[in-house]
Amino acid sequence: MDMSIEDYLAQGGVLSNPTNVPARYRAELLKLMTSFVDSELAGAAGFADIINQGPGIAERMAAARIVQEKTAHAGRVLRVMESFGVNADRYANHHPWTARLPRDADIGAARGDHDMRLAVFNYPLDGWTDAVVMNLLMGLAVGVQMGDFQKLSYQPLAEVFRAIAPVEARHGELAEEGLVRLMGEGEGDRILTSVSYWWPRVAASFGQAGSPRFKALNAMGLRHASNEAMRAQWEAEATATLDRIGIQPG
Amino acid sequence: MARFHDLTVTDVTKTIRDAVVVTLQPEDAEAFDFTQGQYLTFRRNFDGQELRRSYSICAGRQEGRIQVGIKRVDGGAFSTWANEELQVGDRVQAMPPMGSFFTPLDPAAEKQYLGFAGGSGITPLLSIIKTTLAVEPGARFTLVYANKGVSTIMFREELEDLKNQHMGRFNVIHILETDAQEIDLFTGLVTQEKCAELFKGWIDIEHVDTAFICGPEPMMLGIAAALRAHGLTDAQIKFELFASAQPGRARARVVSENAASAANQAEIAYTLEGATQTVTAGKDMSILDIARANQMDAPFACKAGVCSTCRCRVLEGEVEMVANHALEDYEVEKGYVLSCQSYPVTDRVVVDFDQ
Repeated sequence: MDMSIEDYLAQGGVLSNPTNVPARYRAELLKLMTSFVDSELAGAAGFADIINQGPGIAERMAAARIVQEKTAHAGRVLRVMESFGVNADRYANHHPWTARLPRDADIGAARGDHDMRLAVFNYPLDGWTDAVVMNLLMGLAVGVQMGDFQKLSYQPLAEVFRAIAPVEARHGELAEEGLVRLMGEGEGDRILTSVSYWWPRVAASFGQAGSPRFKALNAMGLRHASNEAMRAQWEAEATATLDRIGIQPG
Repeated sequence: MARFHDLTVTDVTKTIRDAVVVTLQPEDAEAFDFTQGQYLTFRRNFDGQELRRSYSICAGRQEGRIQVGIKRVDGGAFSTWANEELQVGDRVQAMPPMGSFFTPLDPAAEKQYLGFAGGSGITPLLSIIKTTLAVEPGARFTLVYANKGVSTIMFREELEDLKNQHMGRFNVIHILETDAQEIDLFTGLVTQEKCAELFKGWIDIEHVDTAFICGPEPMMLGIAAALRAHGLTDAQIKFELFASAQPGRARARVVSENAASAANQAEIAYTLEGATQTVTAGKDMSILDIARANQMDAPFACKAGVCSTCRCRVLEGEVEMVANHALEDYEVEKGYVLSCQSYPVTDRVVVDFDQ
């Protein structure tokens, strides 16, 4: 009758509260949450500076909405972190979320000194068109990630991701609508430049192929699709979306 | 951040031989306004070591009182103490209600709920059942309740009362592991196969909106598999697991035999927000805990070596970092450590939280 938590998780078991998560699981779960929260906060902070560069009211409203919702999503995951003892108020303010590296910094997939944001969120946006392109490519990547996150073995977090996934998906759609408009305004070349800048950086955010960590995370029910499978899915979706808009990256 | 509050024990009642229902009166009633299915985390010192244990609330929301069910676990210090020594008038400490083992209720809804409880897993389900039947007049609830035998069924009478009170809306199927019953299907363990049998005639699985499961691990796996095989999505299945092996006593870090000698004391200089303070402490405490014990406002969040909020830089001396899930190699090379995971090694250590 007795079953270890590790066996339970390996067989698809679900955990529901912080009291009996194993230490390693707790660590990986918190790491996953901090990475998400830091990425959302850094993404929102970077995008906030772009709002005023929106060419019209509709664009500025869309950008403001994305900033508001990404911040709210960070807050919802922070609530789950709070149940593990994290001081959410302090956490939300302990990093300069707007900080960015130079545009030409080459950090690969490494994270910064101060937080767990995905490497891609360390690069600065270069104007409105660039921000929309980044938001489209990253939005699609988040969509792929959300598909996996909704199957997480920690139920309170999986529930948050189920609730926010449609809203995150809408951010990608807003970006696509924005790019269609920019194409019509003759921004094609600038879009292409931004796509070639962001494509490898977003692709790197899926991590290395054949990651040894995947197996361990998979056994804990914290990951289901491999890095390479998720990246391939993103590449297919991003290629199809750009094709729809009429952009053929070299 | 969640804090511990004082509560007074106003009643202790035995439900079965080795389980008690404890009624509590919180000093701060507002902080203990709970949602059905939530739990309280208690703390108590046993032989100088703090032990934390979580127990589900078994009262309904509308009852206006806080009750938890505590079943005695073999070798469990907290549950044994609660069953054998806890008395009316005692004061206990608990954090405000936590947990998400519930779905929002809507008085206008007409939903069908299915609950599975194994042994003391009944406690949160009792709260959910009582609250749901009271708040949603159109709700129907079926409970599958697994126990070893008749004598170990917690809240047996209370469940019968609920059946009478909500005639036709609440149904209990008792599955007993060892005691024979009139219907063969109701004897044995609640496995995936048993569930499949129950779904044939006893439970209208096609119309179930939400299922709740609280029991031991193998039971949860079997039931979840059966529910999924019958078309329920992950979003429709709510789990609550209090593992049979909740983490044991707070593990003290292994220290050498002469732990009490001066050789195991370290002098640590902290720089924090521009100010420097030097303290002496045992080497069995983390750099972070020593700072906090000395009223220094050192930053921390997860205390698991993960979030890196507690990062500091060692400028002099040596510490041992027992876990690191946050710092990259190059940071460690620069002397950064996670203070929550780092213990003094040398007799003098200088750390800086400002770098």
